Amino acid sequence: MTHTQKRVLLNNIIMTLSTISAIIGIGFLFWILGILVINGVDALSWNIFTQEGAPPGYEDGGLKHALIGQLMIVGVATFFGVPFGILAGTYLSEYGQKSKLAETIRDVSDIMMSAPSIVIGAFVYAIVVVPMGHFSGWAGSIALTIIMLPIILRTTDDMLQLVPSTLREAAFALGAPKYKVITQVVYRGAKAGIFTGILLGIARVAGETAPLLFTSFNDNFLNTDMMEPMASLTVTMYNYATSPYEDWQRLGWAAAFILSMFILTLNILGRIFIMKKREK
Amino acid sequence: MATIVNIKEEKALVVKDFEFTYASADTPSIKKLDMPVAKNSITALIGPSGCGKTTLLRSFNRMHDLYPGNRYDGKILFKEKNILGPKIDLINLRIQIGMIFQKPTAFPMSIFDNVAYGMKLQGIKNKTELYDRVEKALRDAAIWKEVKDRLKHDANGLSGGQQQRLCIARAIAVEPEVLLFDEPTSALDPISTAGIEELIIELRERVSIVIVTHNMQQAARVSDYTGFMYLGELIELGRTEELFVTPKEKLTEEYITGKFG
Ligand SMILES: Nc1ncnc2c1ncn2[C@@H]1O[C@H](COP(=O)(O)OP(=O)(O)O)[C@@H](O)[C@H]1O
Ligand SMILES: [Mg+2]
Repeated sequence: MTHTQKRVLLNNIIMTLSTISAIIGIGFLFWILGILVINGVDALSWNIFTQEGAPPGYEDGGLKHALIGQLMIVGVATFFGVPFGILAGTYLSEYGQKSKLAETIRDVSDIMMSAPSIVIGAFVYAIVVVPMGHFSGWAGSIALTIIMLPIILRTTDDMLQLVPSTLREAAFALGAPKYKVITQVVYRGAKAGIFTGILLGIARVAGETAPLLFTSFNDNFLNTDMMEPMASLTVTMYNYATSPYEDWQRLGWAAAFILSMFILTLNILGRIFIMKKREK
Repeated sequence: MATIVNIKEEKALVVKDFEFTYASADTPSIKKLDMPVAKNSITALIGPSGCGKTTLLRSFNRMHDLYPGNRYDGKILFKEKNILGPKIDLINLRIQIGMIFQKPTAFPMSIFDNVAYGMKLQGIKNKTELYDRVEKALRDAAIWKEVKDRLKHDANGLSGGQQQRLCIARAIAVEPEVLLFDEPTSALDPISTAGIEELIIELRERVSIVIVTHNMQQAARVSDYTGFMYLGELIELGRTEELFVTPKEKLTEEYITGKFG
């Protein structure tokens, strides 16, 4: 075999192997999605949205309690996580820049981003649930805020740094004070990117189960008091899917389907925003 | 010692014994520089890349203050006041001394909002006044006809040359006394360049202009005075027609005849 033949052969082998791997990977993805859609759509009904949980064997059990609980827990986490994350990201990009403090915050938030979420759940359990004496919606929101924060902070930081410094200089050159340069010019330039970061941050926490098991726990009925244990789609899904009752398992599929569609939509929206920005 | 021609006009700026050192540098990038800038005239700064033209220009509106650790020494007088002094209000200074950058810097907002931006900063809220002054600035920047039907459109939809004229409109809308241009046409095609040069010449009636250019023909076409800089020093400042025809300094002559640079 000549050198060239060898190279061609090697190239073909590697190409075939990587193509097969890619197909297997995508195959699994579609398998999961397919089963999810088949079982999920099958389990969907109007009751899901109008009825609370019911003991196994009752016909009219729904997921209303989990949907509302999920929206409240994630909503409160977003309400605190987004402004806090954006402000912290603004500090890093516009004030801290390459300083020791800023670089430390970046490192810590990168570590937090890769920390297992169950650890954050246990942390909030120790500092919130134990002193309060019981699980609560608040504790769940706090855990999700902590998980969301580093994502929003880092995307904000990155997106603001992408805004060319000449744009800042041009605003300063017109006599703008720094806070106006940031809020009126830099934020506008980074709008799409920051928004994408927010969507991805929400998508990330919306699928969390482990930290909620330690914090908001669960409730099989509708509860809107954040001081009390609260249902969420993920924990409900975990409970129903692992139960021996067929009707509960069906509700578990429905919860999985709704949750996946929600997260998929957020991710697609996020990508659309990034692409729109690139087109410019 | 530098050869500096006597300036008949009043002076917009007077640079005295000026030195500038970047935070990261051990030696000054501008050394012991003296230079007058004539009022209602165009002063061009030429010289090889890295000789300090941009550094000097950005000292006139204290742009270097945006980055920590840079040092100014000496004086730059504007309206009899040393703008390097500690009591200078930078916001006020930058309102009076505007700047146009190498690449157009249209803000990510509408054409109208771009031009109104500086006026809004100064607290002008009256809608009719804003509109009138935006229109006037756009007319003066010779871009009104092209944009009058799409003032609400995103400024980033304009061409490079249009964006640069928009930036000029934005700068003159606040009626500065001095305008600083840093190679304003280096990113533009020849037709847009010609348009901007014409505009700069017209602006001379209202503002004093300092323009950095690496293009000697441009300096010769637009300016009244030309300063030649080399290695952080001003070598010669003269009336443009004289400097290009009968330079007093040997270095100037070598540079304009293309012996180096
Ligand atoms: N931010 C900076 N930090 C340190 N040195 C700089 C910086 N900007 C420019 N310089 C140096 O200052 C000198 C003058 O640069 P500049 O004013 O940009 O030249 P010109 O505009 O004439 O090409 C050069 O030697 C350059 O390397
Ligand atoms: Mg330069």
